Amino acid sequence: MEATIDVQGIHKRYGRTVAVDGLSFRVEPGLVTGFVGPNGAGKSTTMRIVLGLDSPDAGSAVIGGKRYASLRTPLREVGALLDASAIHPGRRARDHLLWMAHSNGIPRRRITEVLELVGLAQVAKRRAGGFSLGMKQRLGIAGALLGDPPVLMFDEPMNGLDPEGIHWIRGFLRSLAGDGRAILVSSHLMGELQDMADRLVVIGRGRLIADTSVRELLAAASDNRVFLRTGSRSEAMTVLANAGATVAITDRDAVTVSGLPAERIVALLTDARLPFSEIGQHRASLEEAYMELTRESVEFNAGEPS
Amino acid sequence: MTYQSTIQGVRGGFGQLLRAEWTKFWSVRSTVLCLLAAIGLSILLSMFLTFNSTDANEGPHYVDQFGFVYQPLAGDGSVVAHVQSQRDSHQWAKAGVIIKQSLQSGTPYAAVMVTPGHGVRFEATFNTQYTGTAAGGPRWLKLTRSGTSVTGFESGDGVTWTPVGTVTIAGLAPTAQVGLFVSSPPNYVVEKHFAGNDQHEVPTNGEATFDNVSVRPAVPTTLPAAPGPPVRWSFADILDTNRFPGGLAPGGFTETDGAFVVSGNGDIAGSESVSSLEAPTGDDIVKASLAGIQIGLIAFVALGVLYASSEYRTGLIRTTFTASPRRGRVLAAKAAVLGSVVLVAGLIASFGAFLAIQPKLHEKGYEPPAYPYLSLTNETVLRAVAGTALFLTLLALLSLGLGFVLRRSARAITLVLALVLVPQLAGDLIPSIEAAKWMVRLTPVAGLEIQQSRLRFDTAIGPWAGLAVLCGYAAVALLAALWMLRRRDA
Amino acid sequence: MIRRALRMEWTKLRTVRTSTWSLACLAAFSIGPGALLVSSLGGMCPPECDADAAQLSLAGVRLSQLAVVVLAVLTVSVEYETTMIRTTFAAVPGRITVLAAKALALTVVVLAAGTVTMLAMFGVGRAVMPDGYPPLSLADGPTLRAFGGTVLYLGLTALLALGVATIVRHTAAGISLVAALFYVVPIAAQAIGDEHFREQLQRYAPMSAGLAIQATKGLDDLPIGPWPGLAVLAAYAAAALLIAAVLIRARDA
Repeated sequence: MEATIDVQGIHKRYGRTVAVDGLSFRVEPGLVTGFVGPNGAGKSTTMRIVLGLDSPDAGSAVIGGKRYASLRTPLREVGALLDASAIHPGRRARDHLLWMAHSNGIPRRRITEVLELVGLAQVAKRRAGGFSLGMKQRLGIAGALLGDPPVLMFDEPMNGLDPEGIHWIRGFLRSLAGDGRAILVSSHLMGELQDMADRLVVIGRGRLIADTSVRELLAAASDNRVFLRTGSRSEAMTVLANAGATVAITDRDAVTVSGLPAERIVALLTDARLPFSEIGQHRASLEEAYMELTRESVEFNAGEPS
Repeated sequence: MTYQSTIQGVRGGFGQLLRAEWTKFWSVRSTVLCLLAAIGLSILLSMFLTFNSTDANEGPHYVDQFGFVYQPLAGDGSVVAHVQSQRDSHQWAKAGVIIKQSLQSGTPYAAVMVTPGHGVRFEATFNTQYTGTAAGGPRWLKLTRSGTSVTGFESGDGVTWTPVGTVTIAGLAPTAQVGLFVSSPPNYVVEKHFAGNDQHEVPTNGEATFDNVSVRPAVPTTLPAAPGPPVRWSFADILDTNRFPGGLAPGGFTETDGAFVVSGNGDIAGSESVSSLEAPTGDDIVKASLAGIQIGLIAFVALGVLYASSEYRTGLIRTTFTASPRRGRVLAAKAAVLGSVVLVAGLIASFGAFLAIQPKLHEKGYEPPAYPYLSLTNETVLRAVAGTALFLTLLALLSLGLGFVLRRSARAITLVLALVLVPQLAGDLIPSIEAAKWMVRLTPVAGLEIQQSRLRFDTAIGPWAGLAVLCGYAAVALLAALWMLRRRDA
Repeated sequence: MIRRALRMEWTKLRTVRTSTWSLACLAAFSIGPGALLVSSLGGMCPPECDADAAQLSLAGVRLSQLAVVVLAVLTVSVEYETTMIRTTFAAVPGRITVLAAKALALTVVVLAAGTVTMLAMFGVGRAVMPDGYPPLSLADGPTLRAFGGTVLYLGLTALLALGVATIVRHTAAGISLVAALFYVVPIAAQAIGDEHFREQLQRYAPMSAGLAIQATKGLDDLPIGPWPGLAVLAAYAAAALLIAAVLIRARDA
């Protein structure tokens, strides 16, 4: 089976709320595809539709060309982590994986393997109700890996992981993709995906905003701007603005300048005897790029701190 | 290049699903505890209810009252009669020929007779019974005495005789009374009203017409004596003041041209014979020993509901449907696992309760003849006890279905309990027996009737019919669950 | 402190749909069966048979009490199952205070709803009473006791269920246990032949004893008197709440 996820024009509404509004994208093998959007954008809904849990009002979602419901041993084709707390608190971690293994005819030794992979081998016999959030997350990942599937879908897998855990999962998912698998990872925090994703599918209010590679996105956001750090911020701003540049404040002592090349800026500042400590090409962070893109689509906006 | 899974999976068949659901079941400790509690509760409660004794056994060991047209018979011989007609006054009305030690109630006897409801019978000494042909209509009957052995015959034409049964009555006097007899037991009527029940007996009047009546002593070995005048027939009401202290209407007979019209009331029966000795208000001790199940079932209901609703509470339902997208099969697997588990548990509970309690009940006063000793090999008992396990299984499946439909344990449990508990309580209050019966017939409680071992005045429905009602409920619930599962988002 | 806790619990109660549903079921299933029974008096029982019409019109409570049980159980069990209880104890650390506040809020709600339901039942009972029977009247001492006492019965039932739910901390277990406790004697006693034993059981069982308050006639034949019967139920409720209070302090949230 080809390791791809293909979503075509899906629509889904719950009552009066439109969760997904005409979404189409494709997840290719060998890449980690980040699925990002603000809270309530429709990420989880989309994943559930792909897994056949919710039925779309229109459109289709297929994995390797086939609908999920038609897969004979689905856990061997697709592994998914939707909700880490979806476990019975009275059941032991091992037994939670055991029944999943039984349902798809997966041999028992695989349970030990995946528990070791995610680092839960020590607590296999403990009841899941006593697990910390991070441990539950790892258990969910173990479950997704049980059938060693070529397609993996993770809904916010980094929730509750400590920095070491995040570092581990980053490397882990990259290596899984390197094996030729198709990986779809959703998150609402860009920073988490910074060094992990190759492609990004950005959605907001149920609609596709961007479907692009990370490099392109960053390049577009960086936009030939110059980053300047100086103690005399207001004076520098005046000088540069007078020279026709557009200046944006990024910090107490930092600005971003667009419209002038870096050397020209250096010359202007030297002429005006304004000291500066740092100047260079502005490298947009994924976070910035993302905020730009989704500014209009953020549904749940906290007020700006004054 | 696309990655391929390195795991050898087995083609996801139903067997896999069963295994998965079974694992889910036993791997949660509280589920197993709940099951054990259900079994324990049922048995313990049944035992608790039998703690105190009862004086339920007031029944006599026999009843012996009838109208007797008799004459003495010295030594061996036979008595023949053709029963031309018998009034259908009661299914256990009896008319036939009898040989009896004396006119005292309770003395040994042997008789062959016809009954409106149970065909031809040969009964003797209160504890022997044989059945002859079941056909109604006129019949020839013959009793032959030879020493202490008596044999009953029947015939359609008075020429070819078929033996019905035979008995040896030790100590039967050389001269006994033989002749025609008629008996007809009273009917029980129970009236229900707000304060309770009223029961009383309504007597019936038995009557039968005989002809071709003859008493033939056996051929004597000595020369026959000169024939004397024909022996006259006498009549007596054999009275059983124990059983019918107030007495019944007296019988009598008339004879015209060899046709005897005989009337009589009462019954001749012993502890081993099925007859009117069973009062319709008597306790059903098989049902009683399973009484704890009526409360223990609450735990089984909870089990069934939780097996479905806990998947929703924890959000596990999505994982389940991700592992097995064919939702109908998941439901079937759950039903199969739950059904088998509850069936086994139910068998343990009901057999356990029965075996623990039956001896105690007899100790506490429920004695033969009214309450005979019952063993598990008795067909009725087996049906009641094993059927109870079936009842619990169907009830659990009903709960499972409703658990999936309603998705919240509180709602589902309450609904099932309301359907099961209320009809059992309402019987107390509803003034009309018919209405109370309909309440039982139309609710899952009907399934409990599988336990019935004797017909009572308030028996609403037959055992298997009752179970079928519960089966219907369970089927509807599971179908509704299937429809909901398929239609709804997970 | 208790005032704030009370306010918290009252808000929790009134903002949940289950509360409305439970009370609606309480009303429907109390009034319905009672009305049915009373209106059928005409056919089943002539005036001379001296039926206890008040008790009959209150008969529906045997079923509708389940609604009160569910309401009471859910006020505690859902908090434990969703771990919201931790938030509650964080807001109000005094655990006994929380329990008391729950009990108080619940009781007030049940008594209020119960009173409304009883008045409705009374009105309906009066309306459907066939001709020839003495009309129901609240001026009549025993009738007033029957109706008013039933309101108390419902309140005590709620408290008993609350206590049990706090002890088991689980919805299904709570409802099942309380249902079993209530219904065991009325149902299983039907299988007991011994009059004396049966009476003993009925005297000390929460439901059988508690419902004695509904009788207005034939008081001598009852296993226990009206007020003593209610006291038995109160004793059960008190015991349950006492154990609940001990456990709620001793256990982790």
